Amino acid sequence: MVLNVREILLLMAEETEKNGIPLPINPRVITEWAEGLGLPEKGDTLLYTGGLYQLMPYINALVKYLEVLESRPSGGFLLKAARKLGLTGLAGAIAKPDRREVEYSHKVLRAIVKLLQSAGVEFAYNPSADGYSGVLLYDMGLDNVFRRHAVRVYESLKKAGARRIITIDPHTTFIMEKVYPEYVKGFDIEVVNYLRLLREKGYKPSGNGGRVVIHDPCLYARELGIIEEPRKLLADAGYEILEPRRSGRMTYCCGGPVESIAPRLSRKIASMRARELSEKGRRVVTLCPICLANLSRAGEKLEINDISLYLSGEA
Amino acid sequence: MASIEEIIRRVYKALEDEEFQEALWKASLGSEVRVPRILQNYEYIRELAREVTEARKKSIDRLDELIEELKDSARKTGVKLFLADTAEDAREYIGGIIGKGKLVVLSKSMVAEEIGLREYLEEKGNEVWETDLGQLLIQLEGSKPMHTIAPAVHMTVERAARLVREKLGLEIPDNPRPEDIVAEVRRFLREKFTNADYGISGANAIAADTAAVVLVENEGNIRLVTGLPPSHIIVAGMEKIVETLELAVKQAMVQAAYASIYPPTYINIIAGPSSTADIEHTRVYGAHGPREVHLVLVDNGRMKARETPLRDQLRCIRCGRCQWECPVWRHTANIWGGPTYGGPMGINWTGITLGVEEAGPLTLLCLQCRRCDVVCPVEIPISRIIHWLRRQYMDRLLLS
Repeated sequence: MVLNVREILLLMAEETEKNGIPLPINPRVITEWAEGLGLPEKGDTLLYTGGLYQLMPYINALVKYLEVLESRPSGGFLLKAARKLGLTGLAGAIAKPDRREVEYSHKVLRAIVKLLQSAGVEFAYNPSADGYSGVLLYDMGLDNVFRRHAVRVYESLKKAGARRIITIDPHTTFIMEKVYPEYVKGFDIEVVNYLRLLREKGYKPSGNGGRVVIHDPCLYARELGIIEEPRKLLADAGYEILEPRRSGRMTYCCGGPVESIAPRLSRKIASMRARELSEKGRRVVTLCPICLANLSRAGEKLEINDISLYLSGEA
Repeated sequence: MASIEEIIRRVYKALEDEEFQEALWKASLGSEVRVPRILQNYEYIRELAREVTEARKKSIDRLDELIEELKDSARKTGVKLFLADTAEDAREYIGGIIGKGKLVVLSKSMVAEEIGLREYLEEKGNEVWETDLGQLLIQLEGSKPMHTIAPAVHMTVERAARLVREKLGLEIPDNPRPEDIVAEVRRFLREKFTNADYGISGANAIAADTAAVVLVENEGNIRLVTGLPPSHIIVAGMEKIVETLELAVKQAMVQAAYASIYPPTYINIIAGPSSTADIEHTRVYGAHGPREVHLVLVDNGRMKARETPLRDQLRCIRCGRCQWECPVWRHTANIWGGPTYGGPMGINWTGITLGVEEAGPLTLLCLQCRRCDVVCPVEIPISRIIHWLRRQYMDRLLLS
């Protein structure tokens, strides 16, 4: 059985129109990590997470659910029913992500905040201006839904007084830096990726040392040219970097982008990459929440962590 | 038209075919290291690729003018030129030349595949043989080429031996080696080459200034297909025209290098029929080579594609490098990418030759990882074009 692709895309499109995120969950999941941190809310430089780290536990739950559907003969029908009737199976599965994954995403975000603060970056975090950027909509080619969403995101950023935003993952960085200006008329917000910012500030992080295998995400490597920055930061933090067979500009995809359409294919690609990484070492650095999720799912005995945790000495 | 669900089903079937996966795995390991090595050993190739990229851009811009120029040069060199608007026009024209009851030898041509030429000629009552070994195996299997230049990349030696044993009755020993198959097929095809009435080839590049075509190969079958029969028919896409013979040769060299075969064993230049004027300065056609040379230029959506982002794909020199480097193709070969072409470039060529409806669902399995964009020798933004196709398709899918 294969999945009914139109239903998955419609789900993403409808949910984004309805509550700003592509899944039937409470949008508060995007901002709850910052509660109690006492971050300033006003400023012209805003931390804009784009929500991808926060959404991954829920996307993982969805993919797990889809993999089960895919293994059943009636999976396509079930999916249609689930969307039409708002059936509990789908919403219920997504609403109950792995708590450890949720906590992990919060840990990553807090580590990023700590790194920026230690580097002396002045920034604010305004929960009402943070939110999902629409990357999946754009990637899947849902142009009209994406455009409407992008305009809403832009407006709320402007309302919060943002002149510059700090982005923290490759997909959100790409979409804000390169795609928003094409889709949103008059887009005038400066976009800066946090790894670049840390380098610009000359920040020297301190980590726990040891050897780590680096897995470059496709968009940093081939679209944004962020290849040296993570290496320099890791080296400064005391790590010895091991390069896998395909790295830097020629890095290999984790398979993530097709995870919700063809989960079995996605897993196959992830396994191949995970095996390749494991040939160099067991400790792996990822720089993208989708890579982290997919390579972890591939089942190799790897210890995979986000770069922010290595740089803050938490991995 | 295949739906996205049907496409995923086919892909899943390929994932489960262990023989298929094993053959693909072995083949792709080599290709990935060979091209960088070639580029390192022959430093001028990168420079040539840049020159060819510019020449390709220019020739796509000037295509209408170049076709006019080509008509003129074809007349001078004695090449019979035919412009086919559609696949059907091309098939019928070639069918009209050949008729029925003839023996035809073919050298591997993706455009011949695109227009369904072999099947058409067979249906008309001709005996038709592919002479590229990989392509012959595809003919025997009744499938489609699984890579642009390595059509039988998905076959293990056992599978290939099984095919020639069963379909051609050739004697191949147990525990076959590739050498055993090559020797037997060589013997089998010899007689076809010498008795063929028509030889049909494609073209790597066509020079507007001379009506010369350039063909690059390793096996030597193209030399025989284009040299032995009394008639030679070239079938090629219109986009293959470049301004000069010099550029055409350079384009063939770049194609070979990025297809990881450098130096290519043979580069053929064919400008018109064979002739001699050795007796009393009287020109006589058909000395040892063909007496007549036909050039059939196929449009089949190419001219129209120039009005959309597909325009950039027309620059493609068909080296197949984007296929080797694609993480999805690496598991599916040309099972994914369209009915004729496959992989990243295949999706876009499907868009050019069959339209958005057919290409649209294929785009959904693209990772948008951009490896194809980075390795393309003529700098085609392949993944960006795929994304454009996806957007066109989504508009329709979700509105319906």
